Amino acid sequence: MKRKIMGAALFLVLLMMGVVTVVPFVWMVLSSFKTNAEISALEQTLLPKAFTLENYATLQSNFNFLRYFGNSVFIALVVTALVIYISCICGFVLSKYQFKGKNLIFGFIMMTMMIPWSVTIISRYTMFVDAGLQDSYLSLILPAMVSGFGIFMMKQDIGALPDELLEAARMDGANEFAIFHKIVLPMSKNSISAIAIFQFLWVWEDYLWPYLMIDSEEKQLLAVGLTTFNGRYSTDYGGLFAATTISIIPVLIIYIIFQKRFVAGVAAGAVKG
Amino acid sequence: MFWKRRPLQSKSEVVLRNIVVAFLVLHMGIFLIVPVIMAFAGSFHLWNPLNGTYKWIGLDNYVRMFQYPTFWTAMINTLVFCVVVVAFRVLLGLSLAYAITSKMTTKKTFFRTVFYMPTVTPLVAVAYVWKIMYNPQFGLIDQILGVDINWLYDSAFALPAVMAMTIWKDFGYAVILFMSGLMSVPSDYYEAAHIDGANAWKTFCYITLPLLKPTMIFVVITSVISYLQAYVPVMVMTDGGPGTATFLSSYLVYDQAFVKYNFGYASAIAFFILVLTAILTVISFTVTGEKPEKRRKRA
Amino acid sequence: MKKKLWTACLAAVLVLTLGGCSAETAGQHPEGVVDTEPDKGLEVMGNHVTYDPNHLVNDGQPVTLEWWLWDAPDLFGQMAEAYMEIHPNVTINIINNPWDGFWTKLPLALQKGEKGPTLFNVHNSYQHLLLPYMAPYDIDLDQMQEDFFTAASHVIDGQIYYTDFGVMTGAIYYNKEMWAAAGLTQEDIPKTWDEFREVAKKLTIVEDGKMVQAGFNYNGDFQNLMLGVPYQYGGTIFKEDMQTVSFTGEGMIKTAKMLKDMYRVDGIGSEDFGTDAAQSFGQGQSAMVYKWGHFYGYMNTNYPDIEYGAFEIPTVTENPFAYDRYNGEATPGINKNASPAQMEAAQDFIRFYLANTRIQKELCMYYSLFPASNALRDDPEMLENPAIAAVSEHIEDYIWPGPMPSTLEDNMKIAAQDIMYNDKEIEKTLKTAEDIVNVDLANIDFTSAENLYYKYGQEG
Repeated sequence: MKRKIMGAALFLVLLMMGVVTVVPFVWMVLSSFKTNAEISALEQTLLPKAFTLENYATLQSNFNFLRYFGNSVFIALVVTALVIYISCICGFVLSKYQFKGKNLIFGFIMMTMMIPWSVTIISRYTMFVDAGLQDSYLSLILPAMVSGFGIFMMKQDIGALPDELLEAARMDGANEFAIFHKIVLPMSKNSISAIAIFQFLWVWEDYLWPYLMIDSEEKQLLAVGLTTFNGRYSTDYGGLFAATTISIIPVLIIYIIFQKRFVAGVAAGAVKG
Repeated sequence: MFWKRRPLQSKSEVVLRNIVVAFLVLHMGIFLIVPVIMAFAGSFHLWNPLNGTYKWIGLDNYVRMFQYPTFWTAMINTLVFCVVVVAFRVLLGLSLAYAITSKMTTKKTFFRTVFYMPTVTPLVAVAYVWKIMYNPQFGLIDQILGVDINWLYDSAFALPAVMAMTIWKDFGYAVILFMSGLMSVPSDYYEAAHIDGANAWKTFCYITLPLLKPTMIFVVITSVISYLQAYVPVMVMTDGGPGTATFLSSYLVYDQAFVKYNFGYASAIAFFILVLTAILTVISFTVTGEKPEKRRKRA
Repeated sequence: MKKKLWTACLAAVLVLTLGGCSAETAGQHPEGVVDTEPDKGLEVMGNHVTYDPNHLVNDGQPVTLEWWLWDAPDLFGQMAEAYMEIHPNVTINIINNPWDGFWTKLPLALQKGEKGPTLFNVHNSYQHLLLPYMAPYDIDLDQMQEDFFTAASHVIDGQIYYTDFGVMTGAIYYNKEMWAAAGLTQEDIPKTWDEFREVAKKLTIVEDGKMVQAGFNYNGDFQNLMLGVPYQYGGTIFKEDMQTVSFTGEGMIKTAKMLKDMYRVDGIGSEDFGTDAAQSFGQGQSAMVYKWGHFYGYMNTNYPDIEYGAFEIPTVTENPFAYDRYNGEATPGINKNASPAQMEAAQDFIRFYLANTRIQKELCMYYSLFPASNALRDDPEMLENPAIAAVSEHIEDYIWPGPMPSTLEDNMKIAAQDIMYNDKEIEKTLKTAEDIVNVDLANIDFTSAENLYYKYGQEG
């Protein structure tokens, strides 16, 4: 009985927090069906008074929405997959191997996260143009594929794997590549899911670098398109909200796919422990 | 004691290590070290790469930085911002993750998704929503709280208001990570504690918390690093105002680099922040009782 | 399971990418055709700067130009279409970019020389970034000055690299319904600030000690008033050297005091009431605001139902030194590293642009700009726009301080907020701002254009 009450109380608290969390979000989604006048009207209502699809209809006419959307999905998937793999293998080597200069390398990796992009972006731009990589997707993928965040996370996670497990495999004659692919990778599902969720979002949102690097319309990304709603004198909030609402969908899908991994991870964790 | 130096045993280990090290050194050399050296050199110059200005001015940028009153305002604001937002992120993240993973909670997936919603929503859009919510005439917040505060234009409330928005936007990140950590805690640990007669609080303090340490370190350090670079919420909501009340150090860097095109000056500020971040990172590692280079072993 | 999902995702991407491909090619212009007919049978356009369409460009051989913009691709596209119709061998590709980041991307693109855009729209506040990449117009200076009243202020070392097609400045916008409700008529339009404050008091409504309607709302515009109204006192923003600023002149301090008194003494508004003046005016909470011409477009898109009018900014005395500051919207710049063929076509296109008053009129109407072309000055259709009409009477008496670096407006904004919200002392705050701006300016090669104003040196 006591348990039930506790459970109900907990549920209530979570529900309240949940409501607080979603209100601004729901407000934004519903506002994408409002006219601009209504969005900033004196009397705010959650539901649109005059329901309009105008904001969505103008998306495609404003810029090639579908095209940009497809490009963004493609780049985000490629970069996320690369980041996951590279983070895992680097995390494995940096946590399980002993060699000179390891700490130095790790220190530099931490530094990649601390340098503000605003001071390095221009030099980087010049480098890419000199290398003739401008207006190619390589210029978006190359610098993004090593993530300090990802390596840090995998180093923490893989470092916690019992060494006995690896030793046992080595005894069985497995080489390091097999150990990494068959043991380490499958056992890092939780962290991989987390990296996937975050990394996808970061690539998805990144704006200035793709804007600087990509010139041709047909290669441009969605995040760049979204800023066209932010004009010089005013922002078209209806359009911005509509585009934002749609642009969240892939990120949510990635989230939903990988959050299931957590559950699977628990089962694996129980066996592991 | 497995963390003692183990000699390399197989050829494949050497190969793998060399590949990874070569790749990292190459990648970091090209995409990090070179641009950073260029920026560092730039911090001693009057530098605007957009119109080709590059003139040696020695330490002028650094001198100017320390003499600029707004710089110090920004540093203090950044410190306050970091400490408060990170603290809330950890507290909210941990308690909500704990609540969700609790056996008593139903609809786990639902809550998980709900709390993660703000994290996936682009900042520009939500910042505008919050701006309306903070409006003193028709904003939701004043109506609910029954107060009459001009949140974003009162220097006593502007920074807290921006912090509140940031906490709301970001705590889902911590929830996810802590849940990920909590789920890795083997359930027999809890059973053992239960058999020993430990209550929930004791179990949390003596079993859960120590096991969450790596997650905790991770959340704290990545948060500190990312908040030292946060400028978008300020740019969208207050433009640093009223006056300079909500200037953050990275907003200063952004403003000098991409609004005033003073790349040399911006680099000088950025390097100061870099040193500060490095110090804070080391402190974070020390406070949480772990050195970054030391290997952890599983309990 | 995971594999299936990935496969599904990738398949979806492929479909999207391919679908996008086929849709894309339609938007691009095909390469121009060879033109062999110099005589187009068209009339010569323009007054002093003229354009004779009856000639071949680049010997009639195909040439392609890229033209970068940040806004209104349809409008500028129309102009390009009109030109391409006359010269079918020239192809102008319009590239519309987001405003955010445009001024970083454009100079970087111009560093690529010939591969960069041939034509690009310019904003004068970014002149310092763009000038190293710009070619001067191949047009007679005197003819330019005959046709465009602001052209003289854009002469750099005897050359013109861009000029204004229209100018924008501030005016007072008022809500007609509230105006009538307060018993005011056309007769009550104030000429001086004293009259203005009296009118504003009548337009203010306070119920139970709580403001429900502000007579005048300058929230967000304080800094713009501070960089305009002081001219009415005969002062200038820049000192005689035209390189350093003075924020502590009599005009500045009096303006700041007057604005502050409006809220604190007259109570015709509040810094906590309607935190964004434009929005508050649109919501029908503020009766009067000070706004620049783009406000007309803002009201049209966001609050089409509000009935409003506009009148000229009040002054301190009759016949002030200048009414306010103005700023121009510029004609495109030409990439100096363009190929000879592109250069010839670009110069020809600029001449077409400057001689074509019809298209300039459309642009001015779109942005609510007072036209820079003297031929359009009395155009009745343009004067129907309240934003243009309000400034038309004394437009010669507005001053342009030059392509001001952003540090000026930024630091004035900080000072304005410190005065408004943080109750800092006016003189001290302005002095601090002045010092910071002058340190910044010492590192920038900038000279003000204030001394080009026709009354400069006569008064004050």
